[in-house]
Amino acid sequence: MSGSFEELRRQFEEDLVHASSLDHVKLVRDKWLARENGIITGEMRRLRDLPKEERPAFGQEMNRLRALVESRIEESRAALQASEVSKSRKRADVTRPGYPHALGTLHPIRQLQEEIEGIFVSLGFTVLDLPEVELDYYNFEALNMPRNHPARDAQDTFYFDENLLLRTHCSTVQVHAMESMKPPIRAVSLGKVYRRDPFDATHSPMFNQVDVLVVDAGITMGDLKGTLEIFLKRVFHPDIKMRLRPGFFPFVEPGAEVDISCIFCLGSGCRICKQSGWIEILGAGMVHPNVLRISGVDDAKYSGFAWGMGIDRVAILKYGVDDIRLFFENDLRFLNQF
Amino acid sequence: MKISIEWLREYLDLPESLEQLRPSLTMAGHVVESITEVAGTPVLEVEITSNRPDCLSYLGIAREIAALYGKKIRSGRTAKSMRVRKERVAYSIDIRDRDLCPRYIGLVLDGIRVGSSPDWMQRRLEASGMRPVNNIVDITNYVLLERGHPLHAFDFDKLHEGKIIVSRACSGQKMVTLDGVERDLDSEMLLINDGAGPVAIAGVMGGRDSEISDATTRVLLECAYFQPASIRRTSKKLGLSTEASYRFERGADWDGPPAAVARTCYWMQELAGGRIAGSVQDVYPAAIAPVQISFSRGRAETLLGVSLAPEFVESTLKCLHFRPVRKGKGKWLVQCPSYRADMELEADLIEEIARFYGYQNIPATIPACKSAGQSSAVHPMEQAARNIMRGLGFSEIMSLSFAGVQDHRRFPLSDGLPLEIRNPLTEETQFLRASLAPGLVKAVKHNFNYNQRQVRIFEIAKIFRRSADGAVSERNALAMIGTGGSTGRNWRNPGAEYDFYHLKGTVMALLAGLRCAPHEVVPAPAPSWLNEASSAALMVAGKCLGVLGAMHPALEEEFKLKQTMYIAEIDFQGLCPYLFSPIQFKPLPRFPSVERDLSIVVSREVSYGALRLAILGLGVGELAALELMDVYEGDQIPAGKLGMTLRLTFLDREGTLVVDRVQSFSDTIISLLQNSFGAELR
Repeated sequence: MSGSFEELRRQFEEDLVHASSLDHVKLVRDKWLARENGIITGEMRRLRDLPKEERPAFGQEMNRLRALVESRIEESRAALQASEVSKSRKRADVTRPGYPHALGTLHPIRQLQEEIEGIFVSLGFTVLDLPEVELDYYNFEALNMPRNHPARDAQDTFYFDENLLLRTHCSTVQVHAMESMKPPIRAVSLGKVYRRDPFDATHSPMFNQVDVLVVDAGITMGDLKGTLEIFLKRVFHPDIKMRLRPGFFPFVEPGAEVDISCIFCLGSGCRICKQSGWIEILGAGMVHPNVLRISGVDDAKYSGFAWGMGIDRVAILKYGVDDIRLFFENDLRFLNQF
Repeated sequence: MKISIEWLREYLDLPESLEQLRPSLTMAGHVVESITEVAGTPVLEVEITSNRPDCLSYLGIAREIAALYGKKIRSGRTAKSMRVRKERVAYSIDIRDRDLCPRYIGLVLDGIRVGSSPDWMQRRLEASGMRPVNNIVDITNYVLLERGHPLHAFDFDKLHEGKIIVSRACSGQKMVTLDGVERDLDSEMLLINDGAGPVAIAGVMGGRDSEISDATTRVLLECAYFQPASIRRTSKKLGLSTEASYRFERGADWDGPPAAVARTCYWMQELAGGRIAGSVQDVYPAAIAPVQISFSRGRAETLLGVSLAPEFVESTLKCLHFRPVRKGKGKWLVQCPSYRADMELEADLIEEIARFYGYQNIPATIPACKSAGQSSAVHPMEQAARNIMRGLGFSEIMSLSFAGVQDHRRFPLSDGLPLEIRNPLTEETQFLRASLAPGLVKAVKHNFNYNQRQVRIFEIAKIFRRSADGAVSERNALAMIGTGGSTGRNWRNPGAEYDFYHLKGTVMALLAGLRCAPHEVVPAPAPSWLNEASSAALMVAGKCLGVLGAMHPALEEEFKLKQTMYIAEIDFQGLCPYLFSPIQFKPLPRFPSVERDLSIVVSREVSYGALRLAILGLGVGELAALELMDVYEGDQIPAGKLGMTLRLTFLDREGTLVVDRVQSFSDTIISLLQNSFGAELR
């Protein structure tokens, strides 16, 4: 008896699977559900011939079959109808271009600045927006570079008058931060800096820097290395290696030049790294006691580190740009690549 | 500094192959830029940082290598004595400015035969980048390179009265230096004079008149110590940098002169027939005390983040010729070598310890963070503005902050003066820019040259000016240019030619995106660089914070642009306080709104802004929106008039609007338009 249910169901599914149009589905429906001569009606007629005790079970099975057939036919019909409606619409040539939305681009150096700023905010730094036209005091004097200091040679400066100049580095953040904040200090400043270098493939009278200052009790050179490592790995690549070697900047002591493993040859030596496997990327060090003192920070109690990096240089390395002037010529063929 | 390996071997046994020496020197702070072969010997190009003038010499480099590898130094032979029992010449040294010249040593030799120096010496000088001249000059240069201490040789017979007087120049004084140039002197410059006048600019360059010549037979040797800042000032002022001034201005060895003279004397006796004719005179009125620095191991450990053995501290300092004297546990008083001009504070000694400990051996640690990170106040607004502009199809540019005379003529300041650079690179970079417009126009022009004639660009940057009272202002500005092509063009729709309304649309979308306080664009007198026919001011809270419009045709002509530029420049800094207005949620209306379109014909003189203001002025609270749907000017409209379609959206938050009320609102508005603006319904 149950065999007859399974058998009927199998037959029905076979009919339905071949019904590929709405008309055909209707034929299947008539065959199975027609009031007069549908298969299920026919089966129900057999009910009377059955022994009384078998009738309820048989009736239930047939009702179950009817419900199943009805719902399966409805499903099939709906699916076919949806497909036929959509086929009746005009066909789109999906290979044609979509109507364009003109999207602009952000300047590559700005993009890097955003990224760098984000890294520092995540590390608990306060970002300071500092003036480009700066006093000699903030740019040199308070950074342990009094007038007639030979280190000023390396930063040929544009002056407006005796005391007013275009900042030559973002290291001005050191003095400004120590004036406006109390230790613990974590400050960073990004922006344009200026040096009196004529425009050529590797020099620009204007470029961009990021400078960092950390001051607190017990800050060590190890802390400088650890923080630098996080920063450089995020900016360049998690696998980048870093090395510090002694270097000289008047506002730090000990001072360091920081190299990263060459991102082009991965350290094996190439033209870009002059076969050394290393690329000089930034200058760093422990804040010079004179710099702490002049800004009113007790150097017996506090120590700190600072570093400064050229953002254009990072962009040049990251994107393989071969001429710094491209960043400031604003050629759309260049800008659209970023 | 060029270091010939052949010459360097004179002073110590080199430890290993050059390829191993190179990284050691680099990691000790002396970067070996290159190694080249000169006349059969390798020559290292070593970059010497400005704090280490002592390393601008063979002995200096030798000392560093010796310290790194525990080697001994050989410093070369010197004259046994620099005195004669019977003086054959009389000469005197008189230092009249002890501050600028703390020490001056003189020595006179006679019997000098000027000729060529030996080949080996010439080769060494050439390998180190110096041109051989004659034996006397070559010997002084040789000793300069060897010891880092500059010397000068005068022709003694050309010195009047055998006198050396060290004093400041008088202002207005002149002298001709060795290079044949007449130099203007001032009272800050130190001179070496004889009995008649100047014979050298101290520490910078000798004079032509007392120069060594082939006929020279007697020589006065000078070896002095000059104050660094004074030499630097003089060298800068004269625009004259020499091997001597380069070393003196960084700080020479104040205790170096006796040995340098003795060494020079030795070579003059050996190679030029020199005999001491006038004994050495060491005029040193006030002996300079060696620098002594207290050093605490604990301080060094705290600053470096490592622990240091006391033996390591002592041995490192000693191998660098410092003299540490123990002053209790973990403390020393350290006497610094006279040639270490960079030694001032404990931190300087800590760097020496760190250098020899090895920066690479300091473990990296992460300091505890005690603060929350914070962007600058303007940053979120700037960032939002950039992202919105990008979304609106504008590309960000970055131009140089400079401007030239022409830029200020074309885009004059409304008030204040351009900020002028005293020492500009070129005429085009003589000023700082007071407007972003010139940079944008230049960028457009550049792109036109490469046949890119549809340009949408913007920049956010500082602009500068000096107000009448001399104060400098530096403000953040945002400017944009749109020109060429059409907007909204695609393969089904030709789009619309770029015009003023596109620019205004961009400005308004930007301000909306930045949640700017109520603002409007109003007709306004144009700055001279905009076309009066289509220029406007951006008003926020009653303040003019920007201008927008088409560039003046005369300027377009001048730039040969052949295309109209639409420019907007906004005082972004002034705008910031009005941005990011707080958000206050309004409940969503529960009842549907009703729209009515009104098509009217008005005179061309009637501005949409005036209509809008009047309609809003009626105070119909149910008027939820007013939009300009269409403007029609053409055949079906009488001349001098134009058609407008306005869409009015009415909404009652309290209930469903019935047709009668909507009609009465419309009627009120229509009668206003008819009565106040002479409008006719179409």
